[in-house]
Amino acid sequence: MPVPLEHAGELGIRQVIDQNGTVKGNLDDPDLGRDEVRMIYETMVLLRAIDERGWKLQRSGRIAFWIPLRGQEAVQVAATHAMAPSDWIFREHRTMSPWLMRGASLELLFAQLFGAVSEPQKGRRLPCLMGNRAVNMVQGPTQVGSFISHACGVAWAAKLKGSDVKVLGTFGDGATSRGEFHSAMNFAGIHRPPVVFLCVNNSWAVSTPLDCQTASTEFAAKGDAYEVPNVRVDGNDPLAVYAVTKKARADTDGHGPTLIEAITWRQGFHTSSDNPDLYRLEQENELWKPWDPVSRTRKYLESAGWWSDGDEAELLERCVGRIQDAVEAAESMDIPGPESQFEDVFASSNWMLDEQRDRLLAEVRDGGS
Amino acid sequence: MRMTVLEALRAAMAHELENDPDVVVLGEDVGTAGGIFRVTQGLQNRFGKDRLIDTPMDEKGIVGHAIGLALFGMKPIAEIQFSGFIHDAHEQIMFCAAKYRWISGGEYTVPLVIRAPSFGGIMGGIWHSQSIESYYVHGGGIKIVCPSTPQHAYSLMLAAIRDPDPVLVIEPVPLYRTLSGEVDDNGEASEIGVAEIVRPGTQVTALTYGPLRHTTAQVADELASSHGIDVEVIDLVSLIPFDIDLVTASVNKTGRLVIIHEACETLGFGAELAARVQNRSFGYLQAPIERVCAPDVPYSYRVGDDYCRPDATRISAGIRRAAEYSF
Repeated sequence: MPVPLEHAGELGIRQVIDQNGTVKGNLDDPDLGRDEVRMIYETMVLLRAIDERGWKLQRSGRIAFWIPLRGQEAVQVAATHAMAPSDWIFREHRTMSPWLMRGASLELLFAQLFGAVSEPQKGRRLPCLMGNRAVNMVQGPTQVGSFISHACGVAWAAKLKGSDVKVLGTFGDGATSRGEFHSAMNFAGIHRPPVVFLCVNNSWAVSTPLDCQTASTEFAAKGDAYEVPNVRVDGNDPLAVYAVTKKARADTDGHGPTLIEAITWRQGFHTSSDNPDLYRLEQENELWKPWDPVSRTRKYLESAGWWSDGDEAELLERCVGRIQDAVEAAESMDIPGPESQFEDVFASSNWMLDEQRDRLLAEVRDGGS
Repeated sequence: MRMTVLEALRAAMAHELENDPDVVVLGEDVGTAGGIFRVTQGLQNRFGKDRLIDTPMDEKGIVGHAIGLALFGMKPIAEIQFSGFIHDAHEQIMFCAAKYRWISGGEYTVPLVIRAPSFGGIMGGIWHSQSIESYYVHGGGIKIVCPSTPQHAYSLMLAAIRDPDPVLVIEPVPLYRTLSGEVDDNGEASEIGVAEIVRPGTQVTALTYGPLRHTTAQVADELASSHGIDVEVIDLVSLIPFDIDLVTASVNKTGRLVIIHEACETLGFGAELAARVQNRSFGYLQAPIERVCAPDVPYSYRVGDDYCRPDATRISAGIRRAAEYSF
């Protein structure tokens, strides 16, 4: 299958830069300037470095699971940057950008991967299934797409309460087949809440290709039936993603919701439990390589004279060093005890849970005697 | 003030709509029409279309969006038109609403009320006569209450709305308009998890909830005069959590237990009650724990109300089996 980003113009895909980082797309350069584009690029590189380290931690048995994000750095970083820090972000499983871009620590991120008791979710959820209220990054349920209606509902509440908060709800292409996607589009069309729906179309839902997911040639158009304005964007072009998301956010004060389809490519495994050799040809990966978001963004920076080989070497060294420090700190943190699973089931416990907890603790600590 | 069950539910919702701007009601036909049972009648005129929201016909959408409202600090009351329609929203209820607090380490919470009009007795057939409580007792994170009198309807609805966690309110459809009583509508919520002794007795404990509370109480009176059996009738009122202390105190006194509910027998809530009671009261039991439930069949339009839902004859037989058993 050809890379749709090569035919962005005829497919109506918004694009600022081509594969060489040259501005010649169908969308104006948002002119973010040196510091902002450097920040976007540096965050993308940090994400890629985290991904490489996370993969190794899983493969060496130090963490139980990994969800690779390689290839999807641009869409998450640029979309996060286009939202305000107070906006709520519901994340598809490969999105870590709000954590890094809104001031939560790398050490705490790795604490999540190791299941430390001190991370926001207290070690309860698989590595990468993360969230952090301190940075308005919601821990949604794991079932793909189940939280699209929650994102819409939060935005609806913000509107009803007169809050300035907007919501970014991200999900994958497979999630558009779930009822919750259609529920959310339907309610959003009726009530016009301030929500930006971002469908990260990475071309694969585990092994399922797009033509097994939908007969539609695009996901964005699914908004038409619900009167939800929609747009397709090159998800490997951070400038285009930023511009489109920024406009969608601004439009929340006007028409309300927008559905963005960001077209990208999952370069790696679906998860550490996957094997893409069973369903994907390596030559497809090769076709997408020139459209790698990190290399395209670097070329844009270099052509603007905002990036050098020295900058690159220094950045990589800094990322590796920061990650190493975070891993060392996180791996030695305390993990939760058996009693911790009984906390937060309810705001306050009840006799049923108390009885089960006391019995379990007695059994595991002294054999129940 | 004298109210029907339906009026008591409405009065409680109106009280909270009046006093808490974060409370909204959403569901199919709840606004303009006031709900197909008219439980919310008049509330949209009083509180506006932003507080009484007519939704698309989409149960998982109603609950899913209510979860979003709740995450942002509102207190939504989501009506499912009939409990038989709730299954589309099961994942939203059990693995979203009921799990947010836990999966987020307590960072996000869902103070949500789900109203589920339930039970047989209206010749409603399979989808309009369901007892769905067993599907929601498994796995934690959601409370379940089952009011069976106007007073319980009023004060448990207040408790459910004010609770910081999701609460499923199993509402007794056949009692909506047929049962009225004095309600102390003072704005005070009752405590979730407290059962009620409907009729004190000494020889056998009849444990039930929902509309069958009233049938069971009548049967108990009849058995006292006809057979000289002194039955203690307990209305559980709340299922999660349930009042184990009141139940075991009664069983320890009578030594005999009959559990009566409208839901199907296999893994009905009676199974859990029986397991807990035998564990706590094993040495006091003088008879096997009896259950009077619906058989594991779908609910028939024509004969369900008479032969699927336990009636006075079957309840009486069940109580007598327990009362007359000897080793």
